[in-house]
Amino acid sequence: MNWWRFVVAAELRKILAYRSDFWVTFVGQTLVQLLIARALWSALYEAQGVTEMNGYTLEMMTLYYLIAPIGQKILIGQNVGFIAREIYDGTFSRYLIYPLSPFQYKTLTYFTHSLFYFVQLILIISIYGTFFVPGGINIGGVILGASLYLIASLVYAMIQTIIELISLWADNIWSLAVMLRFATSFFGGGLIPLTFFPDWSLVVLKYTPFPYFVSLPIRTIMGTSTTEEILFGLLMLTFWYGISVGIVKLIWNRGQLRFTGAGQ
Amino acid sequence: MRYLRLYLYFMQFSISRALEFRLDFTFRIVMDMFYYLVNILFFKVIYLHTPMLAGWSSEQVQLFVATFLIVDGISMTVFSSNMWWIPELINKGGLDYYLIRPVSSLFFVSTRDFSVNSLINLFMAMGIFIYALIDLPGEISFLKLLFFIVLIINGTLLHYLLHLLLTLPIFWTHSSRGFVDLFYSLGMAMERPHRIYKGGLRIVFNFLLPFTLIASVPAQLYMEAFDVMTFVHLTVVTAIFWMLILFIWKKGLKNYSSASS
Repeated sequence: MNWWRFVVAAELRKILAYRSDFWVTFVGQTLVQLLIARALWSALYEAQGVTEMNGYTLEMMTLYYLIAPIGQKILIGQNVGFIAREIYDGTFSRYLIYPLSPFQYKTLTYFTHSLFYFVQLILIISIYGTFFVPGGINIGGVILGASLYLIASLVYAMIQTIIELISLWADNIWSLAVMLRFATSFFGGGLIPLTFFPDWSLVVLKYTPFPYFVSLPIRTIMGTSTTEEILFGLLMLTFWYGISVGIVKLIWNRGQLRFTGAGQ
Repeated sequence: MRYLRLYLYFMQFSISRALEFRLDFTFRIVMDMFYYLVNILFFKVIYLHTPMLAGWSSEQVQLFVATFLIVDGISMTVFSSNMWWIPELINKGGLDYYLIRPVSSLFFVSTRDFSVNSLINLFMAMGIFIYALIDLPGEISFLKLLFFIVLIINGTLLHYLLHLLLTLPIFWTHSSRGFVDLFYSLGMAMERPHRIYKGGLRIVFNFLLPFTLIASVPAQLYMEAFDVMTFVHLTVVTAIFWMLILFIWKKGLKNYSSASS
């Protein structure tokens, strides 16, 4: 039963193996995306001659775009190919002889990556909220919102697993995974807060998983979501998780017969 | 002529290889279409809330979006597939194959793979551009259009140079993951009108990491009155980055450990 500790420790070592990568990705990406978004929204607010739009002041927008890239890291967990690469090179067979399901193992490694960024999100937002947000920030809301991101990452991982398993039939699936990221980023509110979308689109998006991947966790951290929204979000995430698990089982049952191991 | 002939062989080989993997070919076309759609929808949503952004109307931003989609299309067709492989070639010693050939190693490494699926998406981007051009108020100036094509080529070259700038550190760091991810984040600067950037950001994106010169400034030069200083700035910055990349490439090769040494 201690196998999970070894898996988590091994994954953490991998994440921190290339320290320059880690800092460049984390600081560079987060800062760059934040500065570009802030420049855009400053220009928009200036063009309109307002200090608030659709419930967001510029300071709230800054916080929104500080959370979004780190939250995306929690969602994405391990990068594209966390299953597909091993199917392509035949090394997936090693998981078939481990005394646990390959999907349990893969979910845990994925979750370790998400957990790593979960801790960072809490730290960074708590520090930012303490010094830069007038009136401070509710740490309970930060933890709750970050936890929503973690739960969402499990659902995202399951949907991505569906895509990764298509590699049992198709030559290369990374483009499908990239499309999932685009869709999540845009329809989830990662590029523009969903309150700016037309009302008719929000009615449709409500029943997709995307708003609960991005918008709901961010708004929970910022303290602008309601208990009903959080509960509905959890319900939708559970629904989409169930659907995804069913599809994964179906695909794996059919696809594993096509898998050719490397004989390791 | 020798390089052109070589490039034609690259194209021929890439086309026959691409058509062997038809599902991957199709997926990549759909992925790029999705990317185009997201970028178009992004500004459609923004313009629901304002008639102007950074001095540009919705029609002008439409043309700007089409401009960076064309630059992206050309980059994806000619360079991007090759850029993805450079880190592996350097880390695993595969660069040896390119270094022993009697052609420029940088040319060989940068242009070997021609992405046919991206070429199809490039035609789509051109279609979006033509639509945006027709939608733009005012007459279409063919002289300006010709000049604009030159600026697009310059923008694509600058995009390639910036991509290399953030890939070649792998000669020293042995992992490019962070820098490559940073490149894609910085690429967002190219996808926003340049006038939104003020102060320090303006200096960074116009001079140090000149992503705004790739599409936004060319779009400005087409849509607004021609500005000689802006054009000179654009070409001088591209030339400086070209020399910088050649320098880094040479330095990097000195640090390179080949598979056979």
